[in-house]
Amino acid sequence: MLLQAFAISPLLMVGIGAMLLMMAEAFSKVRGGLALGAAAVCFAGVACAAGVWMYGVETIPGIDAFSPWLRVDRFSLFFDALLCLGAGLSCLMAGGYLPEHNLDRGEFYSLLLLSTFGAMILSAAGDVLTLFLGLETMSLGVYCLAAFRRASARSSEGALKYFLLGSFAAALLLYGFALLYGVTGHTDLQGIGDAMAKGNIRNPMAIMGLVLILVGLAFKVSAVPFHMWTPDAYEGAPTPATNFMAVAVKGAAFAMMLRVLLTAFGDPRSASWASGWPPALAWIAVITMTVANLVAGRQESVKRMLAYSSVAHAGYILVGMVATMHSATQASAGVLFYLLTYTVSTAGAFGALILCGRRGAEAVTYEDLAGIGRRHPAAALPFAFFLLSLAGVPPTAGFFGKWFVFRSAMEGGFYWLTIIAFINSVIGAYYYLRVLVFMYMREPAAGAPVATPMRSGYVTAALILSAVLVIALGLTPTKSLSVVFQAAAIFGG
Amino acid sequence: MIPVEYYVGLSAILFLIGGIGFLVRRNVLVALMSIEVMLNATNLALVAFNRQHAQVHTGQVLSFFVIAVAAAEAAVGLAIVLSFFRLKRTVRSDEADLLRN
Repeated sequence: MLLQAFAISPLLMVGIGAMLLMMAEAFSKVRGGLALGAAAVCFAGVACAAGVWMYGVETIPGIDAFSPWLRVDRFSLFFDALLCLGAGLSCLMAGGYLPEHNLDRGEFYSLLLLSTFGAMILSAAGDVLTLFLGLETMSLGVYCLAAFRRASARSSEGALKYFLLGSFAAALLLYGFALLYGVTGHTDLQGIGDAMAKGNIRNPMAIMGLVLILVGLAFKVSAVPFHMWTPDAYEGAPTPATNFMAVAVKGAAFAMMLRVLLTAFGDPRSASWASGWPPALAWIAVITMTVANLVAGRQESVKRMLAYSSVAHAGYILVGMVATMHSATQASAGVLFYLLTYTVSTAGAFGALILCGRRGAEAVTYEDLAGIGRRHPAAALPFAFFLLSLAGVPPTAGFFGKWFVFRSAMEGGFYWLTIIAFINSVIGAYYYLRVLVFMYMREPAAGAPVATPMRSGYVTAALILSAVLVIALGLTPTKSLSVVFQAAAIFGG
Repeated sequence: MIPVEYYVGLSAILFLIGGIGFLVRRNVLVALMSIEVMLNATNLALVAFNRQHAQVHTGQVLSFFVIAVAAAEAAVGLAIVLSFFRLKRTVRSDEADLLRN
């Protein structure tokens, strides 16, 4: 019993921590410190996940008591740690950002933690019931975070679009699963998968279900052409919430995608090029990368550019997803490693963007950043570093993330897909480098507002943490590779 | 006894009505209602399919959870619509046009 509680301790930590934080916010008169508390809860969640991982989750007796509702395995532990890391970095950023921009209301942190809790449930869900509950717990929290700037028309507009399309996608996903339940009589993913392997996939109702589920998943990972909400929601939300959406929500959505496609549709027939989901996913990946990269280059706002860049990264990850049809373990390990590098690089980039602005002068556009490299090198340097990692310049983490995903696509024989992905990452370098050009080679136009960086220990701490991880992942990828391989091993084969 | 297929057909029609309503209507409140129709179509399908697989009540239980979640979703959704309305004095989604490109 105690060991079972230990096995789900990351979930308990974040769930109970969120409740306690909500109480503390409601009943204590002390302001401030909430950010530190929330970040501490998140990093304690990382520590718990690491502890269970090292103890060996397979050796805990009675671990099957949670299944099929929750699959407590190395895959879900990996995501527990990843999502808590992303959430913790967002909390640290919020600790600097919210007071600076006069938004310091405590519910931000409990919403963020409860949303993280939902994301963790989602990544561990082995049944449609928990999958839907986790998805909605996560999404409802994030809708509120996106609408957090109540006085801003942009914020509520972005949140409105996000809410409408997000709920629409959830309804599509759910109807798809309802159809599958009709065909197979199962709501647990493993049961659906077993029934699919017996040839049920030829049933037109099952095909319809698969299509609806794919569309719903594409909405949630913001793949083109289902990405319309992404730039608006990302731009309107306060930047720490944007970071949370880009990092944790996207990570959990990909965890759901991996589990659903590889467990419920992992049989040789559904996962084949001739009669399954891989070709649909491959085309979505191609459109996603190309459209996102072309549109990102035309943006005037850096925040919006980063939103499109996160769409483009979803495209690269989808390339890895397609490759799972040949080697489930190796390709999904590539996807997990990519998510890890993407998390730390994106968090760093958003943190640096926060650091470059202050009250009344939030740095948002390229013009805002003009010349900041010479005036405030301490703020510009980390920004440049994380953008280089996002662009995939060696020896940063981003380079190895791309390397492993592209390599697994090559080994799966998807040469054309790899070439398109490679061309796209070259196009992508253009708009990342454009920020560097503005920061280091341009001077602000006469009379234009000049961004001055804020001072905040919280944001600095978040930046240092992400920078250490980016460098560590870039210099010694072997260690973390063995971790992602163990996490991906649950898919076997 | 009415065959299960009829219920499933009805639920598919409801789902389509909801989906088309969501995509076509520009009033945010109608879009919200369309989503509710879609979720209820799902509930109908789940309960109907449960009769085919009557050994366990998975479908019915799932539909209860969907009802609860739909209520929570409506609460958050209406709050967001309200905050949008307060700032823009409209609930038409084509006037949500500040964010572009």
